[in-house]
Amino acid sequence: MSASTIGRNGGAPHVELRRVTKRYGAVTAISDLSLTVEKGSFTALLGPSGCGKSTLLRMIAGLEQITAGQCFIDNQDVTDVPPAQRRIAMVFQSYALYPHMTVRQNIAFSLSVAGAPRKVQDERALEVARILQLEPYLDRRPAELSGGQRQRVAIGRALVRKPEVFLFDEPLSNLDAKLRVQMRLELAKLHADLGTTMIYVTHDQTEAMTLADRIVVLDKGIISQVGSPLDLYNAPANKFVASFIGSPSMNVFGVDVAGVKDGRATVVLPGGGKALVRVGAASADARAVELGVRPEHLSIVDPQDASAALGGVVALIERLGNSTLLYVDTPAGQLIVEGEGNLEAKTGVSVGLNISEAHAHLFGAAGATL
Amino acid sequence: MSAPAQIEDYAPSLATRRLSRLRQWDLIGLAITLATVIVATLWAFPLYWALVTTFKPEYEVVRPGVQLWPEHFTLENYAHVLLQTKIGIWYLNSLITSAAVTILVVIMAAGAGYAISQLQFPGRQLFWWMILASFMVPIPALIVTHFLVLSQLHLINTLPGVVGPQLIAPVTVIIYKQFFDSVPKDFREAAVIDGASEFQLLFRIYLPMNWGVTTALAIITFIGAWNLFLWPFLAVSSEDMMNITVGITQVHDAFGVQYARDLAVAMLAALPVAIVYLVFQRQVTQAIMLSAGIKG
Repeated sequence: MSASTIGRNGGAPHVELRRVTKRYGAVTAISDLSLTVEKGSFTALLGPSGCGKSTLLRMIAGLEQITAGQCFIDNQDVTDVPPAQRRIAMVFQSYALYPHMTVRQNIAFSLSVAGAPRKVQDERALEVARILQLEPYLDRRPAELSGGQRQRVAIGRALVRKPEVFLFDEPLSNLDAKLRVQMRLELAKLHADLGTTMIYVTHDQTEAMTLADRIVVLDKGIISQVGSPLDLYNAPANKFVASFIGSPSMNVFGVDVAGVKDGRATVVLPGGGKALVRVGAASADARAVELGVRPEHLSIVDPQDASAALGGVVALIERLGNSTLLYVDTPAGQLIVEGEGNLEAKTGVSVGLNISEAHAHLFGAAGATL
Repeated sequence: MSAPAQIEDYAPSLATRRLSRLRQWDLIGLAITLATVIVATLWAFPLYWALVTTFKPEYEVVRPGVQLWPEHFTLENYAHVLLQTKIGIWYLNSLITSAAVTILVVIMAAGAGYAISQLQFPGRQLFWWMILASFMVPIPALIVTHFLVLSQLHLINTLPGVVGPQLIAPVTVIIYKQFFDSVPKDFREAAVIDGASEFQLLFRIYLPMNWGVTTALAIITFIGAWNLFLWPFLAVSSEDMMNITVGITQVHDAFGVQYARDLAVAMLAALPVAIVYLVFQRQVTQAIMLSAGIKG
């Protein structure tokens, strides 16, 4: 895919990137990327460190110059428009709250630099503080606030500008696990209340899956896949997306294709077992392939059972309460199996593994789903 | 029961060793304290000597021998300096020029430091190298050039003439640049998105975030300007335009130099700086350390 032109049908494009490239000297961070974000949507840019997701967000914000291509917001070409005139607001990972200003001054900063009367500044700051439950802290400085409160102030500073588009750059990364879940809910509620377009950068697939109605998975500066959280989970376009989405990760191992008939491939697994996998038409002559199956789509059966495609020995058991993870050593390598919370299992016991045909994926040599 | 006996035997020797180690430390501590007191006394003695001398009549001052306390205590020298000289004008001149130097140096150095640190413009690197190079040139080496330039501008014998050459403060620019470099770029970007101009960024974000540095630099610049002698001495010959440091040289009469009077005016000249130093001791120390760090 040289130009990744992906958008969802139907909604009006609010933010649009047309064939944008970003180079830093000889290094290409973003390569010929196109993307549309619909008005009112919550879009997550997801990918590992260094995939270019923050660069993409910063290009939309106007903080990074676009080497080639164009950026549109509300059908206006903003490629060369300064950040302040793009009608966007951004929440930074570090919050970037001015330490010498009170919460009120931080929230009202954009109004203050625009020369708004003090009365208007105070009113708007109060209005935003009310939405974010920050009223008791208006006269405190950032150093006197907890992580969650600082995060809310950062959101408040964005909110006060009444922007067309909210940009979030990993805003929950500095919070502890419990607070992160709480802030996630607050962000989701905020989006539901405001209905403003939000673009959210994260490397945490759980954040992306729970918050976004659309996820853009990036890998090495190009778009791997765009879709709803469940689309990405159930029908990954390639091995990268399949491995990146889901926790624990999908099990992927090499198999041989014995034959393809009626959209179903018979694959020979390491150890000699066979399994059926649904495939597209393009896979007819594929040879070097890999099979991907999520931990919850492997089930434990008797090693002698006819449905056991793989055999192995339980090496490790992790009990998470609501589920149990078994690490099973098989001829295909160590595979993770997710079972019920009360699954009876012991380490060192031989087990058979059954693969759910409906949920198995076959990846070609280049990693694309067959 | 041999083990407890051994412990008992061992215990006193351990305690003795600890005690002797403590004594050893105490001796070292005592020696260091004594050395410090001696050095401090040697350093402070001239100040004490000067202060005591101001309260002596002149004949006691010139009398041979060391006299640590005035035989006849007098305030005549201070009275003479305060009533018979132009010390009021000199104070005012010092205050005006030192305040002007401080305000201008801080504003210009903060602006230059901000520009070099945060803005992208052609020649930025060259500008930076020039500033680095300029503080390797001792100011007295340029003093003749300064005199010629200010003379051509007809600024000799004026207060702006006294202020002008003191505005060359590359170290202050370097310190500001380094501090502005260390401000995380998120602050700048957040403000840029909020629509802040470069001036607003400097005066509302960068300077307030580095207020401690500004205070320290302002105090040390003020003290430096107040104490400066060579340039104000060369730039001014009119008594009405003199700073307090230069004014000291004018305290004489038909009978020549009167040491007690000279020292009295020197004491009065040093008084504001001493007060500033005592009040802002922490900031002054910080500023000296900052400058020392730059000067390496």
